[in-house]
This record gives sequence, C-alpha cells and structure tokens, in this order.
Amino acid sequence: MFEAFTNQPIRLIGEDGSRTQPFELDLSVDELLQIHRDMIRARVCDERLIPILRQGKTSFYAQSTGMEATQIGIAWGVKKKHDWFWPYYRDNGLLLTLGMPMGRWIAQLLGSNEDVCKGRQMPQHFSDPENHIASICSAIGSHIAPAAGTAIAQKYLGTDEITVCTFGEGATSEGDWHAGVNMASANKAPCLFICENNQYAISLNVKDQTNSKNIAVKGHAYGIPGFYVDGQDVLAVRAVVKQAAEYIRAGNGSVLIECLTYRIGTHSSSDDDSRYRSKDEVESWRAQDPLVRFERFLEKEGILPAREEIEAYYGSVLAEFEEALQKSDASGYPTWEILFDDVYSDLPDHLAQQALYLREENL
Amino acid sequence: MTMQSPEKPSAAPVRKPLNLIQAINEAMREELLRDPNVLVFGEDVGKRGGVFLATEGLQAEFGNKRVFDTPLSEASIVGAAVGMCIRGLRPVAEIQFADYLYPGFDQIVSQAAKIRYRSGGGFYCPMVIRTPSGGGVRGGNHHSQSPEAYFTHTPGLKVVMPSTPYDAKGLLKEAIRLDDPVMFFEPKRLYRSFKEDVPTEDYTIPFGKAAIRMEGSDITLIGYGGVMPDVIKAAEALKAEGIQPEVIDLRTLIPWDREAVLASVAKTGRVVLISEAPRTSNFMGEVAYVIQEELFDQMLAPVVQVAGFDTPYPYALDKVYLPGPNRILRAAAKSLGY
Repeated sequence: MFEAFTNQPIRLIGEDGSRTQPFELDLSVDELLQIHRDMIRARVCDERLIPILRQGKTSFYAQSTGMEATQIGIAWGVKKKHDWFWPYYRDNGLLLTLGMPMGRWIAQLLGSNEDVCKGRQMPQHFSDPENHIASICSAIGSHIAPAAGTAIAQKYLGTDEITVCTFGEGATSEGDWHAGVNMASANKAPCLFICENNQYAISLNVKDQTNSKNIAVKGHAYGIPGFYVDGQDVLAVRAVVKQAAEYIRAGNGSVLIECLTYRIGTHSSSDDDSRYRSKDEVESWRAQDPLVRFERFLEKEGILPAREEIEAYYGSVLAEFEEALQKSDASGYPTWEILFDDVYSDLPDHLAQQALYLREENL
Repeated sequence: MTMQSPEKPSAAPVRKPLNLIQAINEAMREELLRDPNVLVFGEDVGKRGGVFLATEGLQAEFGNKRVFDTPLSEASIVGAAVGMCIRGLRPVAEIQFADYLYPGFDQIVSQAAKIRYRSGGGFYCPMVIRTPSGGGVRGGNHHSQSPEAYFTHTPGLKVVMPSTPYDAKGLLKEAIRLDDPVMFFEPKRLYRSFKEDVPTEDYTIPFGKAAIRMEGSDITLIGYGGVMPDVIKAAEALKAEGIQPEVIDLRTLIPWDREAVLASVAKTGRVVLISEAPRTSNFMGEVAYVIQEELFDQMLAPVVQVAGFDTPYPYALDKVYLPGPNRILRAAAKSLGY
C-alpha cells in the first residue's frame, strides 16, 4: 500500500526502466502492451494536431505530449463507463483511453457536424455522455464543485461509482477548488481529485503558484489523503489511482492525488514558452519522456514488441486518424439552424422570435 | 389585499390560507414527496429550517439525506447542484440571500446556464436556486439587493419572481419539474405580509404567463415581485380618481409574457414599468424596448419607468429607495398628462 504525504514522489519504474522497488505486477502482458499502445495513440493524436492547426482546420490546441503516463495511468486505475469524469481541457490521452472514439475527439476539435457538442465549444472542450465525461468549461477550477456534486449524488444513489476530477496545478489557486474539495470532503463524497501538475499555468511556474511544498499536502487542510506521485511513471500513477479508487469505493470519502509531470509543448497553440522557460529545462524533461521510460521497462521485462511492430502500430493509428479526420471534415459544419437549440429544454418566445429573424435573413 | 391569479381554480375542493413562505415550504414538501430525486440543501436549511424558515420541518420529515446543510460556500452549493444534475438528481438549492449569489456567480453563469448548450444537449441542469431577494426589511446593503438582471442577461437561465402565495407555490413546483436551471427570487418583504387561500391539490403555473391583477383601459402598470402590493395600491388610488388602470404582474422574467404586455399596452396606449432593482440595465429596459419596437405608433405617451436608484442599497433610506405608491402615481400622472 502506498503512503499519503510522502516527501518524494511515489515511483515504481526508474528512468532507466528498472523497478525502483520490488512489486507484484497485477497486470497481464496483454494489458501492459495495451497501456503502451494507449500511450502511443495519445502521442500520435497530439502530434498530428499541430499540422491540422496550421491548415486552419481548428483554431486552438493544447498539447499533452509528455503527460501520457499521468493521463493513461489515470484511465487504467478507474472503471471506464462506470465511474464519472470531470476532466480539464488538456486531458487528450485520458479521454481517448477512457473510450472516447477518435472520430468524436477530432470532430470536437474541428467543430464539425459530427461533433456531439454541435460546434458550440472551443476546441478541446469535450463532452461525452456515453463515456460519463462531463462537459469541459474554460473557467479554470469551475468544474471542481460540480465534481463534488456528482460524487454526492453517487453517494445518495447508493452506487459504487466514483467521480474523478482532474485539473492543472493552476486550478488549485482558484476559490472554487477549495470550495469544491471542502464540499466533497465534508460530505465524505466518493470523489477522486487528481492534479496533473505539469509545473506551468501558462507562464507561471508552480513555485510561484503556491508556497506549499507540493499540491498533495493541501489534502491535510481538508482531512483527506494526499498522494504525491511521479507522473512520468504510468505504472505508479495507475497503481495509486487504483488504490485511491478502492479506498473511496469502500466509503472512506475523497482523495487528492498529485501527479508531477511536464508539458513538453507550449501551453497552447497561441503560447510562446521561450518567454518563460529555458530550452535546457524543456530538453531535460524531454529526456524523461514517459513513453520511452515505459518502453525501457517493457524491454527489461522482456516483453517490448519488435521495433517494426511498434512502427506498424504508429502507422495504424495515423491511418485511423486520417480516416476520422476526413470523415469529420466531410460531414460539414453547423449552420444557423442549430443556433437556438439546447439553450433551454423548450424554445421560449423571445428565442423563437430571434430564430424567425435569423431565418428571414438567411432565406 | 386581494390579488387574484388568472389560473386560480374557482371550485378548488380544499384550500388553506398560507403566506408566501408557507407556500414555498409546501411546494418543496410536495415535490420531495412526489420525486425521490429531489434534494433540498443550502446553508442552515436543515435543523434550523432556513433563516426565514422556508425549509422548516423538511429535514425532520424527509431525513438528512434529502434535506441537508452544506458548508458555507455559495460556489460549492451551486456547483454541487450542477454536478448532481449530471448524475440524474433534481436539486433545490437555497442561497441565503440574493446578495450572496455573487460568490456562486461563476457556477451559475459558466456551468449551470451553459452546460446544456455547450454539450450539444448531452447534459442539462434541472435545478432550482431559491433565494430571498429585494429590500424593505431594513437589511441594509448586503441583505436587500435585486440582482435579477444579471441572470436575465444570461442565456440558459430561467428567472422567476412571484408576488403571491398562490403563484409562489405553483411556480416553484413548476421550476422543480422543469429541465432547466431556474433562478427563483423570493421577495422577502412579502414572505409574511399577507395570506391567501392556496389549493391543497397539486397544481403548477407555467412560466411565461403574466397575471392580470386588475383590468382597465386607461393605463397599464407592469411590475413583478416585491413592488406588486404598492403597484396595486397605486392602481386603487387611480381608480378612486376615475381612471381605469390595468395591472400586470410579470411573475416570470425569462421567459416573459410579451403577448400579455403588448395586448394591454395596445389597449391603453400608456405604460408605467415598476421594479425595485437599480434603473440602469434593469430588466424593465427590455420590456420598454419591446413595447417601443412593436407599438411605437399606437402609444399615447412615452414609456415611463419607476425603479430603484443607481446607488448601492441604503440601510437608513430604504423607504426612499423603494418605489412606493407615490412614485408610481407620479409616473402614472406623467404618462396620463402627456
């Protein structure tokens, strides 16, 4: 069992891929290889988005390259399509691994007719009811209290589901973060709060974000365990999340996990990170690539597929991506007819009047 | 005081006299009985029964899983309600005073109001935020504000302010059953100011239907919420002078009853709009705009507005601040004398 409030991040695999401590692996070879494929899938989608952006097919993208161990580790520690999720915008790998189809993911980024959000949200503000993924909101931290509410509802309904709420370290400065974590904790709600601490909120380094020695210690203030985890170690993230989920399902209330990671890319496609961090720093983290670390582990365990096989998988993901992209693009883009849908459960008179006005303008 | 609502059944089998807060309490009690997915929560709503006693007795009857106290945090009360909706519940959250909505403002406008639209209809919020609103109880600045216009300006929210016990009960029951987030403002100075007979059988009042409180042909007086008793007083004074005023209580602001307003103003050609919120960007500005757009050539006088002043709410001067019968009569005289 992992201890809460450790001074060093909890880690199972070292940078050279070797086990940092003896542990029993409760994953089959097939599962380990699937985790590897999930990491590759997230990486390919992330990198492929940049040219899409340059082609003008989408207006915004926030990369998650470098954060795959955290995001895929979370997805592997919970029950997909059973637990509920309030994610944040950069959770590309998490959402794809939870089951969001690649086509749905791309359609939202494009705002095409295949987008379940009907092109209302800026790119990366996903919503996927089928996979229990709540709608992402740009106002940082505003999803924390709703996550507490979903967890309170689960407790009231007597399910064994949990709610998983992810956020960056910047969100922990928002009032809503404190209000929401306190609300969940005070209600002993089955809520798992996970900070994907990639160390920068746009340009602000975490050291300037908080004077706490890390984010996990903030759990002390709310009376919930806080786990400090190496977010570049997919097995450690998955194991701690799984342990926390079991603790929560047993009726013990909420948990806070901090995954220490790093975004290799800029904050978003509109950001210039050279203004606030050095090349050396970025390169030092690039050298700690979580995907490479996991491959080294698989290699040491003697189960890493041959390089050609891995390359072939890269190729198949790319092909899936291109097919989904073309299909989404070909579906067309929303037109004025849907502007007034989904504001309310009905169409009040004032909206009906405005719809009529717009119809006349478009005839 | 008699303020008849148009839908009031003429032969209701059983009625009992209730004041406005008792009617609100009954509405919640009946909805808690009807639907196990309805929860009631907020600051002090449990053991205490709410600072105005709106939730009195509900926790004793339904237990602390259905009716419960929350930490003192408007952001988490509203935010939690949004999250409960996503998982299939129908929360009724109390914000102790409308003046305290502001710490929860982002949750209301960014989450509750928009989640249906931004998820393409995949998620929605069948929730009600109840809150005592308005002045007249010597509450001072932070216990007297009328912030409804902030919320009428936010697409996705429905906004209600009843002025009678009958309406309060029927509108609150409707709000709880609707699949939209509803801002339910309760004019606290009317909580215990009068009683009327309210049916004991189940009834709801649809949103977007104004109540004609008095029929007349000379001038239309339009208000909602806490000002309505003063609007009626002013109308009665006009009547005593031989003028026939028509009095409209909007009851719901989003949606609002354009049809009833336009029909009345088309008939009278004169209108006074009365509310107690600060005048600038007051919701009545929208009503005035629609009247001038639709009825400009039928008007006999310009639209006249009576509102609160564009100052923070003043403790010692709340009688000066609120539009009482005299200010309404002065506005009516301006219209009639045009």
